Amino acid sequence: MSSGSGSVPLLDKTSDATPPDAAQPDPAPGTVPRIACLLTPLFPLAARLRSEPELLQEPVAILAGNGHAARVVAATRLARRAGIKPGFTLAQARARLPKLIARPNDAECERAAQEALLDVAESFSPRVEDGGEGLAYLDACGLERHYPGESPDEELARALMLASEKRAGLPIRVGIAASKLAARVAAGQPHSPTLVPPGEETQFLAPLPLAQLSPQAKTLATLESWGIHSLGELANLPKDEIASRLGSAGQHLHAMARGIDPEPLMPRHPPPVFREGMELEWPLVNLEPFVFVARAALERITQRMQSRGLGCERLTLSLGLEPDGHHERSISLPAPTRDIKTLLTLIRLDLEANPPNAPIATFTLDAHPDQPREAQLSLFGPAALSPDKLATTVARLFSMLGDGRVGSPRTVNAHRPERFALEPYAPPPPPKERLEAQPGRGLLTVRVLRPPLEIEVITRGGTAPSNDAETALADADEVAEPITEYASPPSSERPLSIKTLVSEEGSKKPRIEGRVRVASGPWGLEEDWWSEERLERDYWDVELGGGCLYRIYRDRQTGDWFVDGVYD
Amino acid sequence: MLDVALPSPLKRHVQTARELADARRRAPEETRLTTACADFDHLLEGGLERGTMVELIGRRSSGRFSLALTALAAATQAGEAAALIDLGDALDPQAAAAAGVELERLLWVRPRHIKEVLACAEVTLSSGIPLVVIDTGMPPVPGGRGNEASWLRLARAARSQRTALLISSPYRMSGTAARNVLEMGGSRAAWLGQGPSPRLLRGITTHLELVKSHKPRRQGETAPLAWRLAEDLMGDLPMPTRGALGRRDASSPNTTSDRSNVVRFRERAIA
Repeated sequence: MSSGSGSVPLLDKTSDATPPDAAQPDPAPGTVPRIACLLTPLFPLAARLRSEPELLQEPVAILAGNGHAARVVAATRLARRAGIKPGFTLAQARARLPKLIARPNDAECERAAQEALLDVAESFSPRVEDGGEGLAYLDACGLERHYPGESPDEELARALMLASEKRAGLPIRVGIAASKLAARVAAGQPHSPTLVPPGEETQFLAPLPLAQLSPQAKTLATLESWGIHSLGELANLPKDEIASRLGSAGQHLHAMARGIDPEPLMPRHPPPVFREGMELEWPLVNLEPFVFVARAALERITQRMQSRGLGCERLTLSLGLEPDGHHERSISLPAPTRDIKTLLTLIRLDLEANPPNAPIATFTLDAHPDQPREAQLSLFGPAALSPDKLATTVARLFSMLGDGRVGSPRTVNAHRPERFALEPYAPPPPPKERLEAQPGRGLLTVRVLRPPLEIEVITRGGTAPSNDAETALADADEVAEPITEYASPPSSERPLSIKTLVSEEGSKKPRIEGRVRVASGPWGLEEDWWSEERLERDYWDVELGGGCLYRIYRDRQTGDWFVDGVYD
Repeated sequence: MLDVALPSPLKRHVQTARELADARRRAPEETRLTTACADFDHLLEGGLERGTMVELIGRRSSGRFSLALTALAAATQAGEAAALIDLGDALDPQAAAAAGVELERLLWVRPRHIKEVLACAEVTLSSGIPLVVIDTGMPPVPGGRGNEASWLRLARAARSQRTALLISSPYRMSGTAARNVLEMGGSRAAWLGQGPSPRLLRGITTHLELVKSHKPRRQGETAPLAWRLAEDLMGDLPMPTRGALGRRDASSPNTTSDRSNVVRFRERAIA
């Protein structure tokens, strides 16, 4: 087999190593399985560089193991040029290259990278198998219709490589063949993509060395002692003789050398969450550096969700603490979104409110996806809001103000004026034709004061006002007009003047003070009399001298007075 | 094909998609959101113009909040989405529903500070909601008047999104950013019953004055407004006579009846 740098390597049809019993009848068109294998070379390194792209131009080595037993498993090209090879200890590697950046083998990074690779594959085909360790298989049957050029397989392979590089940040090699085994071997070839025409798997495998099938060391040694060095030579041996001499392992190896792969494609179920995480180089104490690292993870998550057209509906943040411990937070969003700024602000606000109280050593972000809202646009009615834009807006408002301060108001079946409910904002679709607004009702509305302001009230028949109160009334602006008193039962509690109590936060509260010109009431309000939260109030509408109208009430249980609304 | 197949009497009733699209293009664009308050709409030449900022100022009990809810009610009843950025946390959903606001279409944002108000308004405007109302509550407004540059930025955002932005504040806050400024004042309460008899609040009457307009000749025009606590059967409220009214005859916007409000009103009176 040979290939040029600019051409796709194909099977060398001149090979004479074809086994006599490997010839198979030509299958009917459309029934030949086509499997694409996506292979990430140096997967531990690629996964780490995906999480830390700033290291792309640096000499980096990934080490597996702890302490002095740690060995280099992968290194960047810069490091390899300096002579660093897999199996070196860190001391040996640093002796060759003092500026070498060493990173431990991070299982979380690798798992996230594997998921990203599978996401890319699933954006091409719904039938994808997780091969683990930077390997994925996808069923390419029928995809040739999307690539109507001269070589659909080659176009598909190049599209896969481009998508993986761009969306997952992983450089991959692609092999396409009729079986997983052949596709896996094809993907392992140095020049990518490698395409094996249908029915020619055996010829493709024939010139390759035995090591391509990763046989057991003992079996390999036995075969080499027989003078068997290539897969073609192995495939030419009699099947029964191999089985009698090498057992079931040899029989399996012989079948593979003939291009027979008994394992079908096993499609996976997509996981319910998108996960990204990382083991940090050193524990983080402050929030800002953590937010910086989390932003990169969020960018990767949103990119993966975007490839599937999903939004984040709930975000779970799991923090591994130093020296030990665990901190987990769950952040619900009012609407599915992929807006990184919003998600990051929510994380920041949540961690500010609930700090982990220990340095952060590892973190994992789980994004629970949901379908974004959809809407049908109307031609003649009011323009519908973009659901995606609206979801992002609501989520950003939510992140700015916190829980319970953004939503759609709802009435509550209760008499307490301060009761209300808040629901997620999801406006119904606009009508198909613009409706005419009804004539205004012109109703006077109460501007509610939340919480009600406690006031000092001087009532008819009550205690005489103190000197301070009289002085305050004399200073108030609203005493110019004469007081009109009206007798209506019961009049013993009729308010004559009101004044807000000054508290520590008094300067921030509205100041309400003056003599009552007209008072109307009382109207009793009783609720929940059977429970401990019972409510017993006497409401009054009062007009002060300046013309302002307030709604005040007296709590029958405590005797305290409050103003809970302004007619405005 | 259809032209050929249809009998001639039916042809004139059928329009092609292209003809519909052309008719749509030729139709006058909906540039204003009516507030269903005739006097307010008259002063604004038809309602709240999309893409502009209008400021409504008024002291306590001037009817400012009622007017803001009326605008929200009109927009939501027409099928539009609307947002209320409520600094004073003053909205009573029951009262809003009674005023005609379709609560499902209303986004209620409850900031705590004027800085949050400005930030929330900018975010809300970016969503393309056709009507955004900012109510800054009663004085003292937490955070003061805010930065004038922020108000100018909001006005620009409203223009780019073609959103009608109504600012309801106790005093001028938006500086030069608002295209029109209206002031509500001279309010008087109207009570039912006189002398020693039991008294009930009927409503208020107030003045609406155009204090700043993009058409200077219209500045100073006024209109009376009346707001009633419930749509009772006791006739119209006495209209105020302070100052010179505008060129238009004053009339109450209240023409419909609402049995539920009447019942509630009577229940309160009996209680």
